[in-house]
Amino acid sequence: MATSAVPTERAISVTVNGTTYDREVEARKLLIHFLRDDLDLTGSHIGCDTGNCGACSVIVDGTLVKSCMLLAVQADGARVETVEGLAAGDELSKLQQAFTAHHALQCGYCTPGMLMSATALLRANPSPSDDEIRKALQGNICRCTGYWNIFEAVKAAAE
Amino acid sequence: MTSTTIAPEKTEQQQEEWKGQNVPRKEDWRLVQGQGVFVDDVKRHGMGYIHFVRSPYAHAHITSIDVSKAEEHPAVYGTLTGEEVAALTDPFFQISSVPGANVKDYALAVGKVRFVGEPIVAVVAETREAARDASELVEIEYEPLDAITDARHARDEGVPTIHEDAGGNLMWEGVYEWGDLDAAFAEADKVVKIDELHFHRFNSTPLECDGALVEYNRGVGQWTIHTNNQFPGFAAIMMGPAMRVGLDKLRFVTQDIGGGFGNKITSHPQLVACCLLARKLNRPVQWTEWRTDFHLSMSHGNERWFLETEVAVKNDGTLLGFRTKALDDAGAYLRYEPLGGVIWAQVTPGMYKWQHVRVDFTQVATNKAPVSPNRGYSRMQHLWFTERMIDIVAHELGLDPVEVRKRNFIKAEDMPYTTPNGCVYDSGDYAKMLDIALELVEYERLAGRRAEAAAAGKLLGVGIGSTLDSGTNNFGQSRLINPELQFSGNNEVATVKLDIFGEIVVTLGTTPQGQSHETTASQVVADILKCSIEDVHVRSGHDSYWNSHAGFSGTYASQFAVTGLGAVKGATEMLRDEILKLAGVVFGGVPAEALELAGGGVRMKENHEAFLPFMACGAIINANNAGLPEDLDVTLNCRYVYRPPFEVPDVERKYGNLTLTYAAQIHVAVIEIDPETGSYDIVDYAAVDDCGKRINPQIVEGQVMGATAQALGAAVHESFVYDEDGNLLTPNFYDYHVPHALDMPPLKTGYIESPSPFTSLGTKGMGEGGGAGIHAVCAAVQDALREHGGAIVWDSSNPYHRVWEMLNDPSKGAHVQVSEA
Amino acid sequence: MLLREVAYAKPESLAEALEILAADDGARALAGGQTLINVMKARAGSPDTLVDLSGLDDLKGIELGADGTLELGAMTTYSEIIASSEARARPILGEVCAQIADVQVRNRGTIGGNACTNDPTNHLPPLLAALGARFTIAGRGGEQTVPAEEFFLGVYLTAVGTGELLTKITIPAGRNDGFAAVTLGVDGTCVVSAAASLNGSARLALGCVDAVPVVLSPSSTDPDAVRQAVRDTALDPPSDVHASSDYRRHLAEVLAVRAIEQAQRS
Repeated sequence: MATSAVPTERAISVTVNGTTYDREVEARKLLIHFLRDDLDLTGSHIGCDTGNCGACSVIVDGTLVKSCMLLAVQADGARVETVEGLAAGDELSKLQQAFTAHHALQCGYCTPGMLMSATALLRANPSPSDDEIRKALQGNICRCTGYWNIFEAVKAAAE
Repeated sequence: MTSTTIAPEKTEQQQEEWKGQNVPRKEDWRLVQGQGVFVDDVKRHGMGYIHFVRSPYAHAHITSIDVSKAEEHPAVYGTLTGEEVAALTDPFFQISSVPGANVKDYALAVGKVRFVGEPIVAVVAETREAARDASELVEIEYEPLDAITDARHARDEGVPTIHEDAGGNLMWEGVYEWGDLDAAFAEADKVVKIDELHFHRFNSTPLECDGALVEYNRGVGQWTIHTNNQFPGFAAIMMGPAMRVGLDKLRFVTQDIGGGFGNKITSHPQLVACCLLARKLNRPVQWTEWRTDFHLSMSHGNERWFLETEVAVKNDGTLLGFRTKALDDAGAYLRYEPLGGVIWAQVTPGMYKWQHVRVDFTQVATNKAPVSPNRGYSRMQHLWFTERMIDIVAHELGLDPVEVRKRNFIKAEDMPYTTPNGCVYDSGDYAKMLDIALELVEYERLAGRRAEAAAAGKLLGVGIGSTLDSGTNNFGQSRLINPELQFSGNNEVATVKLDIFGEIVVTLGTTPQGQSHETTASQVVADILKCSIEDVHVRSGHDSYWNSHAGFSGTYASQFAVTGLGAVKGATEMLRDEILKLAGVVFGGVPAEALELAGGGVRMKENHEAFLPFMACGAIINANNAGLPEDLDVTLNCRYVYRPPFEVPDVERKYGNLTLTYAAQIHVAVIEIDPETGSYDIVDYAAVDDCGKRINPQIVEGQVMGATAQALGAAVHESFVYDEDGNLLTPNFYDYHVPHALDMPPLKTGYIESPSPFTSLGTKGMGEGGGAGIHAVCAAVQDALREHGGAIVWDSSNPYHRVWEMLNDPSKGAHVQVSEA
Repeated sequence: MLLREVAYAKPESLAEALEILAADDGARALAGGQTLINVMKARAGSPDTLVDLSGLDDLKGIELGADGTLELGAMTTYSEIIASSEARARPILGEVCAQIADVQVRNRGTIGGNACTNDPTNHLPPLLAALGARFTIAGRGGEQTVPAEEFFLGVYLTAVGTGELLTKITIPAGRNDGFAAVTLGVDGTCVVSAAASLNGSARLALGCVDAVPVVLSPSSTDPDAVRQAVRDTALDPPSDVHASSDYRRHLAEVLAVRAIEQAQRS
């Protein structure tokens, strides 16, 4: 059993899309469950249980991660960005607009994670090549589109 | 990246209308902002989380279950066992005739487990984590039995029986014979015999798994089932009788669904468990299926063997007939099966003029996950078989696969074409589609490319695959499986109303999972009401509490463009006529013929100044209706049920029209194999589609692309493989490799439009046709190996190791014999 | 998805980390978590305590010595290696790291975690073995440094014992390296891999054919000699859903030759 000195719960403070949340969480809680169940930010999704699908992708302190392979306690003090924070009020981001214009989503379940990966890409590399776009989206599974329209959308948003 | 598209030339000035335009999707606004409402997003105060305890054995008697320790867990609300389920419910209704009819299938395992992952006990707790913790405290003792994992041996002497009630492992069998087989084989120059072909197990693995949040109102005895089941009408008829309640007690609510592809039709056992728990614990309960659960237990596509196939063929490649023994591995339960045993017959001859066909069809149970519909359900398997026969015949007779296809295609001028089993292909031009596909991959340059690849140490292969996406089922075909069944025809519902402030509000009976129904429905409505699609509000999702559904409502089997839009069109035309009638009264007795809709209202044809906006119409009927004539039969709230024109098939002859429309796909794949490793790349790819009139071309192309990607995944890596003990070896996305971004080949698309003469909009159902990709890759592998041992591709799954094995030892391919007839 | 209960500590110093690890047999170091968290989600493993190493700056960073020796802190992520100008002294490192899974995993996964996991499908164990890397392990009793042959002991088993931590990986200078793998699709689960280094004598390591990387030194870089060297190791690779033993044995030969060829070109 766990040694008594090390706690299984922790108070954490996480800033998500500009709002700071102070919560007590079990150490075992994954960041994705913290976002979805505790904070009601249900835009980030869960599509697998092995860290493969990327539907839960969020940006933590500027770095793209899969929030199912990070404990909520590990995000203590971090600044987290999720799909809910991409649009500025009613103004969709360029990527969000391009996803619509290029029919880059069907069921929309992978879309939040896909948008976060594409957002991270364009921040680091505003003019990616076709190969760089594919490489950047490798961690996000889409079962509806075959990705082709997603590539087009990211390319269009970059231009 | 999508390099080329070939489109028909526009012959006439396109009329200004919404149909046919690439309008942006209405669904996207919420989905790109993470504001979709998927089932796991639905929460209720005090809800409990369900965790299913699942079987670690493929086949075992359950000798004891002890939930006491789990129930003592401080966060646990309660449990449910198979014993309770068997007391509280009846076994699910079986579609099959005997012996499959005798199978007893419940929400949880009763007395026995029959596949790894089968739910045995449900535990409900205050948190997701606690439910799983407590499930580890459930003590179950088993007496393991031998597992059956190979359908070919399911009926061998001495093998264990999976369902004792069925008296053996045979679930269903039937003989289909049309034409005159003896005459065909007598007329043949050659008979090509193929010992075994195998269509593998996979499914489309929607990114969102199944789930539900279920509430029970004990005051009225009604359950509200928030779920992502894609065919609530089917779930209802399975669940109501089992739960011994009328369907009014089961309210199904769906909102956004994260992909379905047929895989979300058969969640009714888990939904029953949720209902029983919501009632037992008097609180809302929530079930989230995780990826591994899904792979282990949900909706594998039909695994099918084709044994002892014989093809009667003339020396010039004219195909006369074939006979085969089709054997379906149904898995452990019949949850939608044995319908796969007849659905294939919608496309009996494929695109070809076979006249003489015999299929001895058998379904057996095995200790694997139950099969149920998967995109291209049952037709994909049969069409793969059809295409395999053609490429094997071409190979053996030394003929060009293009020429064999063209020689045998049903021709455009033969349409509508009645198949040997009475199905009517509505329209199409397969030869033209093939020409477009070949042009896209520059087929005439292939000899040169083959040489270039060889110089680089690669084996180039080209393969053609075709599918027919038969849409809009005639449910009467279920009677070919079980003559006792009282199903036939099909239907779908839409309502369109004009509200107080002129809002046009549409409800659908469908349960879309990405098919863009809100958008295409609004295009159809806007054209009829002469307004903007912005003015049309289509309610997303399905709610069986209200009157917006019919018995066959749902989203499955390529039918929305026919049934769904047919209903939308019907309801909107009713509304249009009512608006005209009302306006005629308001204008003081003007006949409807003198009025027209325009610009969001009604006006007189001869005097555009006389204009009544929709807002006024809505307000008058809904809130200001005093003084209207008593006989004015106008509600501005119109409901229409679309019913396709079907007859009940002839059960004796297994003859009749089984589907209304036939969209068509022809794909060509060019691959390069690395002979040292067996790995291969798809270096060129063309997908040509014909789904009749296209309401929104971009959405149609999206479906074509997505279906293609799924086929390519299935062709190369995706496979549900079991070991001899019945353990699934690919239970997650590590080992079940679906295509990722870097795996995608270049894609070229083309299309033609052959409007359906049988549908009100000329549309055809579509979306399921991607299976052509599997067929094309198989043919391409076989072509690449032709000069390198000449192995014949026998399995629809061709991962690198299988290609390497066939290169290394051609006898690992199919065994084929050609004899002079 | 749902982990068993676990305690969580985030030490601020190596000494503190070692103390917590030593105090509890059931404690495990949490590096990038890109394997361990998944193992815990499946409840295939359930440490009592996770010791999060992300606060230990001593374990981060890449240093290039004057003699071309690279020292990589165990907590250095794949993305940091790919982006590092120092790491380009041994270009194969960044090239192989760029083939690991995907951006998200590379952003969190660490070289130390990859080595310590020693999952046979991981790319880095055979690569590090071929490059002649040395592994520095710290315990409360002090430090020891071991070569790959002594570091990789079995599947999920390395020389890092209870109460110890891998702190850094040292890679000698060199440029002529190669790597080849057959994976499920591009950058998917590995079926067989081979890494080669021709700095001085030829050194080859095969991945995914045994519990640990199989290291061999072919007598020459001639393809036939390389194939013979692989055959001489009498590999007995596992059969699984992705490959038979025979296929893996064959791929080991093919990929060994390709890795050597790349090393010759580089």
